[in-house]
Amino acid sequence: MDILRFITAGNIDDGKSTLIGRLLFDTGNLKQDVSDSIVNIETNNANLAFITDGLRSEREQGITIDVAYKYFYTSERKYIIIDAPGHLQYTKNLVTGASGADAMIILIDACNGVTEQTRRHALIASFLSIRNIVVAINKMDAVNYEETVFNTIKKNFQNTADSLLLDSVIYVPISALIGDNVFVNSDKIAWYSGDTIMHYLNKFQPPLMPDNIFRFPVQIVSFSNGMYICLGTVVSGIVSVGDVVEISPEKGKAKVINITIGFFDSETAKAGDFACLYLSTINPVEVGDVISHAIDLPICSHEIEAKICWLEETPLNTEMDYYLQINSKDTLCRISIIKHKINPESFHEEDNKTQVSINEFAKVTITTNDMMSFDPFSLIPSTGRAILINTETFYTCAAVIIE
Amino acid sequence: MNHLNTLEREAIHIFREVAWQFTKPVILFSGGKDSTVLVHLARKAFYPIGMPFSLLHIDTGHNFPEALSFRDKLVKQFNLKLTINSVQEAITAGTVVDVGGKIPSRNVLQSHTLMKAILTNGFDACIGGGRRDEEKARAKERIFSIRDKNGGWQPYNQRPELWNIYNGMIHEGENVRVFPISNWSELDVWQYVLREDIELPSLYYAHERQCIRYNGKLLAVSEYINIDDTDKIITANVRYRTVGDMTCTAAIESTAKTNEGVIEEIINATVSERGQTRLDDNISDAGMEDRKMKGYF
Repeated sequence: MDILRFITAGNIDDGKSTLIGRLLFDTGNLKQDVSDSIVNIETNNANLAFITDGLRSEREQGITIDVAYKYFYTSERKYIIIDAPGHLQYTKNLVTGASGADAMIILIDACNGVTEQTRRHALIASFLSIRNIVVAINKMDAVNYEETVFNTIKKNFQNTADSLLLDSVIYVPISALIGDNVFVNSDKIAWYSGDTIMHYLNKFQPPLMPDNIFRFPVQIVSFSNGMYICLGTVVSGIVSVGDVVEISPEKGKAKVINITIGFFDSETAKAGDFACLYLSTINPVEVGDVISHAIDLPICSHEIEAKICWLEETPLNTEMDYYLQINSKDTLCRISIIKHKINPESFHEEDNKTQVSINEFAKVTITTNDMMSFDPFSLIPSTGRAILINTETFYTCAAVIIE
Repeated sequence: MNHLNTLEREAIHIFREVAWQFTKPVILFSGGKDSTVLVHLARKAFYPIGMPFSLLHIDTGHNFPEALSFRDKLVKQFNLKLTINSVQEAITAGTVVDVGGKIPSRNVLQSHTLMKAILTNGFDACIGGGRRDEEKARAKERIFSIRDKNGGWQPYNQRPELWNIYNGMIHEGENVRVFPISNWSELDVWQYVLREDIELPSLYYAHERQCIRYNGKLLAVSEYINIDDTDKIITANVRYRTVGDMTCTAAIESTAKTNEGVIEEIINATVSERGQTRLDDNISDAGMEDRKMKGYF
């Protein structure tokens, strides 16, 4: 049994929360008391959306404001549903949810087709490199299950996907309300030869951690018996007792004397292992350092080329200091150059060097005070991403993907 | 059990992030299964250095004796440091008022004592065993949840939280609640307890107990509740799915005496964990949200 995390993205009233309610209900993952609590006693109708809208204002206004997490099991795996808001103004919350997702379900209302928000969701999937995408064209019952409606929307979205280089997008015509093609195939949509949403979710694979290049960002260090005892997680590759490793940024070599994983000694530690490396070195190891092999070092630099998504109300200011946090290290920095912004409609790079505001995407150069160790996101995701923090409010003001 | 490895890795990463980002973190320990799993994860995360956290118990004065003896045994066994702050002391001092009544719940009163403990001891991060599958307001909370000077949660202005990069920067007086097992379900916890052979208080396994029926739930007979002539005391075979105060936690009828038995029971349960056992969540539609906004854990 493994874990798959998927996010649902949709506009208001596209039926996102209803879809989640449907998945929980049809897979038998809804307990009796929870189903009872969402049934309106007067009308006896279950409001499936109430399952995920956990805050009072959300239930009162009938909208999703912030991310909610729900869980269910099938015989194959544990699912984590990340229910995120569709509103433009809550894009920051959608980005929060999507950053942890292995897959994305983009909901489109069959009556409305592809909207500005749909394109925004696709842009976020592309920004975060989410590779498993299902477009669920919902409320097919409201358009008499017409194939032409489905095909038009599919063609429209495919244009968007093509311009963002999103490949193998899957399209499913559904009615979350009635349950068509969510968990069971619908006999009302005979022209559709594909499978249900649940079928595709079961087939998706969570991304594997890279296994070729060794990376171990250090979270905790303690010095004892002439050795540096370093706690962290191997995010890529493999390391063995006896290996000569390199401490970045530019701190020299060390020898791996011993490895423990949990309470036990181990000869090796591989991607995904939370480990403890006992290093013998004359060079002090610090929290935030990255351990690698000498043949493939991370980039060590004061200059970082990155794509960012701005998440704070206060726009980006190139005259202001920010904290940049990569792995377990933060440093003061400036966003020294705004190279271009990404137009949310056309996705073209615009030579617009004015301010970057909330929910906008841009390509920038970040100049850091301390030398940082990192990788391109496309090579090793864990060491290729970062956040920017406002030095006054301490708010997380941008998601950073290193190029 | 690949999913347990993933959840364990996620939790251990969070513990280590807390350790370098904060000066005085503490684990909120109740003697329940979730906080006991936290202690196990923390020991594993920091082996062989030793965990850099002490434990904090907010003692409501309405505890199950089994939970208290378990707590003391665990502290001794692993040589941990424990701070106890007492709700009874706050009541005696007159800072908070006991609600009284037939079933005098001290659940809401805990927030005051917790905030006092945070201020007096200078705890800047409180690590708790809250899980998102427990309750709908908990399902909305970040892993690093920033609390204002009064301990209040601001559900409508939470910081973005990206990937597994946690932003623990806070202003003077603010504190952070950290939930390393946010993404674990009740079933995951039990499967992990089985796999790691973690000892839990005996309350979690089937035993004989004197109870009364109260609003359809089985409530243990204790000195903390006021039993009158209308109550019928019965002896039942029960266990606890959650362990809170004796006054707000209900027992369930059960014959599960082993971890395997409990797991089977949970898989077949038709009622959710807190729905079946908590008298305090169902006070109102937004019971948990309201308490969290006032500093509740």
